[in-house]
Amino acid sequence: MSDTPNIILRANDVENIRDFDVYVENGGYEALKKSLEMGRDEVINVVKASNLRGRGGAGFPAGIKWSFIPKNEPIKYVCVNADESETGTFKDRLIMETNPHQLIEGALIAAYAIGAKAVYIYLRGEFWDVAHDLDERIAAAREAGFIGENIQDSGWDCEVYTHLGAGAYICGEETALLNSLEGLLGQPRVRPPFPANKGGGLYKEPTVVNNVETLANVPWIINNGADAYKAIGTEQSSGTKLYCVSGHVKNPGVFELPFTTTFRELLYDICGGPRNEGTSFKAMLPSGGSGPIVPLTDEVLDTRMSYEDTAKLGTIIGSASLIIMDDTVDITWVASKVTKFFKHESCGKCTPCREGTYWLDKVIDRIMAGEGTPKDVELIANVANNMQGATLCALGDFAANPIIHTIKQFPDDFAKHVQGDTEMAVAGD
Amino acid sequence: MAIPVKDDTKLVTVKIDDKEYQVPAGANLVDLAKWYADNDIPVFCYHPKLEPVGMCRMCLVELGSIMRDRETGDVVLDDNGEPTVRWFPKLQTACTQTASDGMVVRTNTEAVDETRENVLEFLLTSHPLDCPICDKGGECPLQNLTMEHGPQESRMIYSDKMHLQKHVPLGDLIFLDRERCIQCARCVRFQDELVGDAVLGFHERGRRLQIITSSDPGFDTYFSGNTTDICPVGALTTADFRFGARPWEMTEIPSISPWDAAGENISLSMRLDRDFGGRAMIKRVMPRQNEYVNELWISDKTRFGHHFTRSLDRLVEPMVSFGDKLTDQSWNDAYKAAVTALEGASGDVAAIAGGAISNEDLWELRQLVEGLGGSRLGAWPPTHGGADLVAEVGVGQDTNLKELGAGDAILVVASDLEEEVPIWRLRLKRAQDRGAYLVVANARPTRMEEFALDTQRNDKPVEGAAVRYAPGEAAAAISDLKSSNKDVYDRLADATNLVVVAGADGLDLDGNKALMQACANLLIETDHVGKANNGLMSPIPGPNGMGLHYLGYTPEVTQDIVANPPKVLIVAQAEPAEDDPTATEWLSKVDTVITLSLFPDRTTSYASIVLPIQSFAERDGTFVNGERRVQRFYTAQGPLGEAVPAWKILTTIREKLGQGRAKLSAAAVMLEITKNVDVFAEMRYKNLSQVTRQFPEIGGDDLYYGGTAYQNRGGLGIQIPSAADSGKVKAGKVASVKATKASKGELIALPITELYNRSNAFMPSGLVHARVAVPYVTLSSSDADDLGLVDGDLVEVSFEGGAVRVRATVGDVPAGVALLPQHLTDEPTPIVPTVVTLSKIAQPVLA
Ligand SMILES: Cc1cc2nc3c(=O)[nH]c(=O)nc-3n(C[C@H](O)[C@H](O)[C@H](O)COP(=O)(O)O)c2cc1C
Ligand code: SF4
Ligand code: SF4
Ligand code: FES
Repeated sequence: MSDTPNIILRANDVENIRDFDVYVENGGYEALKKSLEMGRDEVINVVKASNLRGRGGAGFPAGIKWSFIPKNEPIKYVCVNADESETGTFKDRLIMETNPHQLIEGALIAAYAIGAKAVYIYLRGEFWDVAHDLDERIAAAREAGFIGENIQDSGWDCEVYTHLGAGAYICGEETALLNSLEGLLGQPRVRPPFPANKGGGLYKEPTVVNNVETLANVPWIINNGADAYKAIGTEQSSGTKLYCVSGHVKNPGVFELPFTTTFRELLYDICGGPRNEGTSFKAMLPSGGSGPIVPLTDEVLDTRMSYEDTAKLGTIIGSASLIIMDDTVDITWVASKVTKFFKHESCGKCTPCREGTYWLDKVIDRIMAGEGTPKDVELIANVANNMQGATLCALGDFAANPIIHTIKQFPDDFAKHVQGDTEMAVAGD
Repeated sequence: MAIPVKDDTKLVTVKIDDKEYQVPAGANLVDLAKWYADNDIPVFCYHPKLEPVGMCRMCLVELGSIMRDRETGDVVLDDNGEPTVRWFPKLQTACTQTASDGMVVRTNTEAVDETRENVLEFLLTSHPLDCPICDKGGECPLQNLTMEHGPQESRMIYSDKMHLQKHVPLGDLIFLDRERCIQCARCVRFQDELVGDAVLGFHERGRRLQIITSSDPGFDTYFSGNTTDICPVGALTTADFRFGARPWEMTEIPSISPWDAAGENISLSMRLDRDFGGRAMIKRVMPRQNEYVNELWISDKTRFGHHFTRSLDRLVEPMVSFGDKLTDQSWNDAYKAAVTALEGASGDVAAIAGGAISNEDLWELRQLVEGLGGSRLGAWPPTHGGADLVAEVGVGQDTNLKELGAGDAILVVASDLEEEVPIWRLRLKRAQDRGAYLVVANARPTRMEEFALDTQRNDKPVEGAAVRYAPGEAAAAISDLKSSNKDVYDRLADATNLVVVAGADGLDLDGNKALMQACANLLIETDHVGKANNGLMSPIPGPNGMGLHYLGYTPEVTQDIVANPPKVLIVAQAEPAEDDPTATEWLSKVDTVITLSLFPDRTTSYASIVLPIQSFAERDGTFVNGERRVQRFYTAQGPLGEAVPAWKILTTIREKLGQGRAKLSAAAVMLEITKNVDVFAEMRYKNLSQVTRQFPEIGGDDLYYGGTAYQNRGGLGIQIPSAADSGKVKAGKVASVKATKASKGELIALPITELYNRSNAFMPSGLVHARVAVPYVTLSSSDADDLGLVDGDLVEVSFEGGAVRVRATVGDVPAGVALLPQHLTDEPTPIVPTVVTLSKIAQPVLA
């Protein structure tokens, strides 16, 4: 663990790396220069070979995504997904605050690789201070000739803009993000066409949408090569990952670790174990509210936090937003809270999610009020099941997860409510 | 017939529920399943005329494709020697899929059934149980699909269901019930995509997602009513019909819109009604599908303007004046008076007929006049010439404006189509959306010009150009296009198909005729005549402007009648004195005016015999639309008072004059026309009522597919061939036009059209009153400065034959002219460019 470099959280090693001069003194923007020499195809090849997977949640290989962009289209875009709205996720903000130039550099390399002339960084509305700060960093990079016309005498022009959303979780979904950027209602689009296709991206032009963390990895990969990157992590999950830990641990926070790290190593060795004496870990949402909940059994704790290993547990690592719950937590209450979140955030475009979240919330309220019956638990499990796979975007699946998996993993917690036992301690707000 | 797609030549094989079909590549899966496999995939948000959005999830099906070897391209076979199918792991929305080779679809599996039931259950969780009081009940897609696919019982057991606003006026005409809305966005897309007025939208998100209107005044378009037809629930209702009747109580009678040259096919929903003495009454006007004419749409004027058919202002008894005053008389006495007057005319009999009268009426009128030795048959209003040229080089056989698109061009000149023929404007704008090049030429701005100047629509580039000519110079602008505007000319000349719509906006008859000739020449020179989707159209007023031409009525003769008044003049369903301030002068020179009228008006007050006629709803007949399509309308409503169809009045008079036996039916009159007028040879009623299969196939049980627009059971009509369709035509000489001149201190008023106005036929539809513009005159800012006028000033506009008081507005018009809309004031305003003077009456009223 300790021998893996900080690829992203370089602020831990270098003070003030956020400042342009310090960043450049420490090798900043060398990867961009190198990319300009390598040529577009080679950049894509290296990123492909590195097996850098998208850190926004779905884990799609970034190099392959870039290679989907048609070469002969004159207009293309890169959009940086800095919407960071998943419950328990707070890593992209840290990157933008502590190592912003690495994101900018990564985004520029992506833009160069696909031949885009504009990069839009789409930030959630609450990140206005981050956006202002980024604007200043962009200005500094622009002054030094890394942004703007004829970058480093390569003949390639590229601008970088920040754009603030208006506070909707759904605008983190890439096609809703594009709509929002265009000034339209923040609702997902029908696919195909996909953003990378003509007709599917920003203003209908081919577009790469990547998460902040994904792009922040790129300069390191260009500088150190695909093999060096692949040497870190597991077979199918290369490199390091920022893990966001919140909830009932002693030391919550963001930690950059290789994918080989197990949950136990993170939660005990790094985060110091359960927060309060006399309690023990009960459950974990490894990917915020949207992924399946798992009980924190030994089997789970000894699993590596990679895409492939977590899949074996029936959950996902997603954006790696570990919400940890100790044994004082009532999982029915968790299901209720997360359901309320999704009901609030459903965009309403498609029937199963719009109506399903509304319905689930109503029934679970009844259960929480002690007025539910065992039939109600069956009902919500069934309703959630009916939502899954029938919706227009993945939010509908996310919204079904907390119900389906809380009931599956913690049936007793539900049984207590419908039998009238609401005495169980409820986690503090 | 294949589903019309961009390229229907490439056929692919698609398998639906284990049967294979050859279908055009790119056809929509919902459409093709219905068309080829008779498989009704249920939909809510999908509509065959709108872009798919995949929102409702009702159309989920199992989808796969036959696997092919990457290298060899051969089909991969499984152990049983069957082609291997790669299935999508999840169900896919059929509405967002297009046909590709090897596509495999299953719609009859348990998974599909369950999903349909689930989606319906979801929709019903927050849907009110309104069916017993809902206008849509009985023809509601949600109701029908629930019966067919839905759950039998609710699992959403709550006493407090979702409550939202139930009577939200989106404007004067359309109400929204927020509880009933299922957020399908059909209404939003109709406005965005088809109309081009993006006035509806969604607000909020999740279960709070709701329809809002962003226009002021609300939902302000000429097509709003169509949203109530395509709304798959009773969320949108018209102020005209809501709570008016249940669908199953009504009988649908096929008819034709009585308003303009489009000849929209409509269905009159009739019910025996207390409000009409227990007799059959029009409860609503619905579109009737005719893909050649109006597809599934009608204008709001057609939908909401039907109230005149039973207006208390209608003439219900014959009137005769024996001395100086018209008094009610029996039909017998009225006929006697008419016969006496006609016999005493010693052949000096002439007729003027309006554009809303049917062919059967026109035929009998002509026979009557000619039988008496007269020959003068005039068309009213005498503003639109060129019907002869439409007959010659009008749009070719089988023209369908919905086929115009990329590579084609449209020229609209001297017409404000939005106000004159809204359905043409809807369909031609749509053609531009599909890639047609739209040129709008006029002396003033129009809505169509805005479209022409757009560069982008719904994220797609559109092309067009605007040409402004000096007032009155329309013909020259077109004749000189090649030299003055080469780029535009070349685009028109090189277009695969070219349709020209030429009108009389801002022109007099000579100006309009010269323009029509110039347009005909352009079409002939560039070889755009005598074939489908090419040729000339004109917004001649009324639904039967072309019928007037074919049956021998011309505006030139009207001018002659005006100049040399006859002894006896028959004015048939025309209101010259209502339209034209100079009419009273020449009408008073006629010895005996006989009118066949719907309303008592200024013209009837000059008449000594006034004969009440039936409206289009009370009788049958035929009209010829601007695309020369002869279309039949049927008897729907009982007669008002003693009104009689005009043809019947005329045939009776003829019998009394000894011109032969009176005919007994409109069909009999048409039979005679078919034998005597060549172009009508094929137009027997039976032929006119033929219907062939139309895409999309709407109506039937699956109302959810196309909306509540009605299946056509009354006939698609038959198009009269143009002369160019049957042979060569030659370009003609464009006559030079004398411009109207004004002296210092005067302006030239150009008459313009407002769709909603204070005409006698429109006024009884009170619902639309709020939409009728306050009378106004528009002048340039320089003229306004000269006259010391500002926006909002009350001015008196004086001209030969009268004066009106209107509000001045300053706008984008050339100096020296003023736009003076017709039929907004009680007094008539000029029907041709006329010299006027403006004087200020008062200061603007400050809000
Ligand atoms: C409802 C929803 C919310 C999402 N929110 C985010 C987000 O806040 N940030 C993010 O990077 N990706 C988010 N995603 C994932 C994006 O759609 C997309 O997969 C991602 O931006 C791609 O970038 P990557 O390949 O670099 O991960 C979300 C997806 C869904 C369905
Ligand atoms: S699943 Fe939910 S968030 Fe996604 S499109 Fe449907 S309603 Fe909107
Ligand atoms: S009002 Fe009707 S058409 Fe419009 S979104 Fe709602 S259900 Fe659909
Ligand atoms: S999603 Fe296909 S019809 Fe609505």
